[in-house]
Amino acid sequence: MTLMSVSSQLSHALPKGSLILGSENTRAFECDALGLYKQKPLAVALPTDIEQVKSVLKICRKTKTPVVTRGAGTGLSGGATPLEGCVVLGLSKMTRILSIDVENQLAVVEPGVRNLAISEAVSELNLYYAPDPSSQIACTIGGNVAENSGGVHCLKYGLTVHNVESIKMLTIDGEELILSRRDKGLGLLSLMNGSEGLLGVITEITVKLTKKPALAKLVMAGFDTVRECANAVSDIIKAGIIPAGLEMMDKFAIEASEAFAHAGYPLDAEALLLCELDGEVESVEVELEAALNILTGASTIKVSENEAERLLLWQGRKSSFPAVGRLSPDYYCMDGTIPKRHLAGVLEKISELSKHYKLRVANVFHAGDGNLHPLILYDAGMPGEIDKAEAFGMDILRHCVSVGGSITGEHGVGIEKLDAMCVQYTAAELEVFHQIKAVFDPQSLLNPGKAVPELHRCAELGNMHVHHGELPHPELDRF
Amino acid sequence: MKSIAEFQQLIKESEQIHIGEACSESIENIDMRPYSGIVEYHPEELVITVKAGTSIAEIEKTLKKNNQALTFYTDNPEKTIGALYASAGADFADAILGVQIINGKGQLLNFGGQVMKNVAGYDVSRLLVGSRGQLALITQMSFKILPIDAAKRFQKKPKPQQNPSALHLLLTQKLKQIFDPYGVFT
Repeated sequence: MTLMSVSSQLSHALPKGSLILGSENTRAFECDALGLYKQKPLAVALPTDIEQVKSVLKICRKTKTPVVTRGAGTGLSGGATPLEGCVVLGLSKMTRILSIDVENQLAVVEPGVRNLAISEAVSELNLYYAPDPSSQIACTIGGNVAENSGGVHCLKYGLTVHNVESIKMLTIDGEELILSRRDKGLGLLSLMNGSEGLLGVITEITVKLTKKPALAKLVMAGFDTVRECANAVSDIIKAGIIPAGLEMMDKFAIEASEAFAHAGYPLDAEALLLCELDGEVESVEVELEAALNILTGASTIKVSENEAERLLLWQGRKSSFPAVGRLSPDYYCMDGTIPKRHLAGVLEKISELSKHYKLRVANVFHAGDGNLHPLILYDAGMPGEIDKAEAFGMDILRHCVSVGGSITGEHGVGIEKLDAMCVQYTAAELEVFHQIKAVFDPQSLLNPGKAVPELHRCAELGNMHVHHGELPHPELDRF
Repeated sequence: MKSIAEFQQLIKESEQIHIGEACSESIENIDMRPYSGIVEYHPEELVITVKAGTSIAEIEKTLKKNNQALTFYTDNPEKTIGALYASAGADFADAILGVQIINGKGQLLNFGGQVMKNVAGYDVSRLLVGSRGQLALITQMSFKILPIDAAKRFQKKPKPQQNPSALHLLLTQKLKQIFDPYGVFT
């Protein structure tokens, strides 16, 4: 089958305006929010209903054309990066909210509905959709399910997988599969959450809605040392408090964010803690008092007096990525997770690595659930800096795994962390992942090559690291 | 039987194995109750790792000392956590963070981990919840736990399970082939 024929078949199957062809026109889809990898697709299909999605899948299946499903393209791991000769199946036009069930606190939505649009649609009912990835203004719920997205409120309100009641999806064969939390037997719904577009195409999602808290208070605490701040995180949890959000930033991130957002962060602090308490008025007040008793070692402390102040204090944290981005031509965001008790030690390790690689790093993290986002600053225009930044990132992830953590907490593996997967899983475990893929997609047409590394890739990587004792970048110290 | 190596050997050597209480003299049986105990527990992590034969009562007792609790419905404290895993649904799976299993080939495998957030690889630790001992021997699991008060809202009795679709069952059969290609677990 020639390339022309795939395009012309698609143009027959889709209404005008739902198909984008040609190198110039498809450029907007050549990468997701991870700009390191770019590839123009053969075509971009933007169906508006499920029948059109079925048509696209049928054409791709018959012509053995790879399909890369895409939401808003805000992913950070290259999950939606096109593959050579692929069709990008963009679901961003499927934006209908199909029904809202107030009594059972459920909403049925199409995959292209934006995360925040769900909360906006049910706001008057005093409800919202709890998971809040930082891209929530733009990212789609379909993409959230595909990545099992997190956010700053996961500790208390769960990840995407905890907030999805059921889904409808299409297999590569075009068969409709309905998966529910109430299904007896294997947890296929859990499997689909975070499957990164490799197992099927999600066409409808029933999400759980959460009652808005009566009150939310944000405590900001500055500390003289990172270790004291990390200890405060553990102490709050040990005291039986489950904050709605528990975020930490290092000095560099504090400075960058303050310069950007003017939230009133203490510039003399080595580390900053943001602790949000929400719920019924009375319980918030009790927890607030308990938290303040724990935070007596802080050098600065401030409690939001009103909603405007609370949002302003959040603004610094929420804009920390662009704030750090202003200070460097490029930055590389990592997403490792660790058991919280290793927080201080891991930060010290990152600081050592930063000195050795001679690349600056700003640290922001979801401290409550041990999810680190080190931002490595580099300049892609300087020869070798991309490689150096990637090697630095890989060393951080390796360290996260060595203390019992994971290479990715919420951004997914995509293309970016294929090598790191070899660090976290054995060949036998990776083989299980490949076999799961083959059950759903025996011809490997759905986002092939993403999320799970080929075993030979790991073998080569292993060799690369130990072969004759030679390491990549021999000029760099390893520890 | 009390060690991983013994389980692995038995699985490799047996044609058929039933996990749980003995049901037939002709089929090899693995009773997981002797394989019990808390493997790791750091209250400030809100995570506990236990061997599959540990009774729910023992886990609850351990957690209670730190004013913490499991975040799913339990009806019979004498039951092992592994038995609950084998028959439970999504409400239980919500709390699962990772599992250690032995597949039908006798390989020891780990999926997920001991951290709250982990999206590396397919979520096998939640997939196998409800697998009724048909796909693998679950030897160890890690859970998210919460302070007692916060845990309460997750301890409601789950809604009754419903029979899945024909396609779900077909996929289940195919997935069994991956974990138990020789059909050891009955």
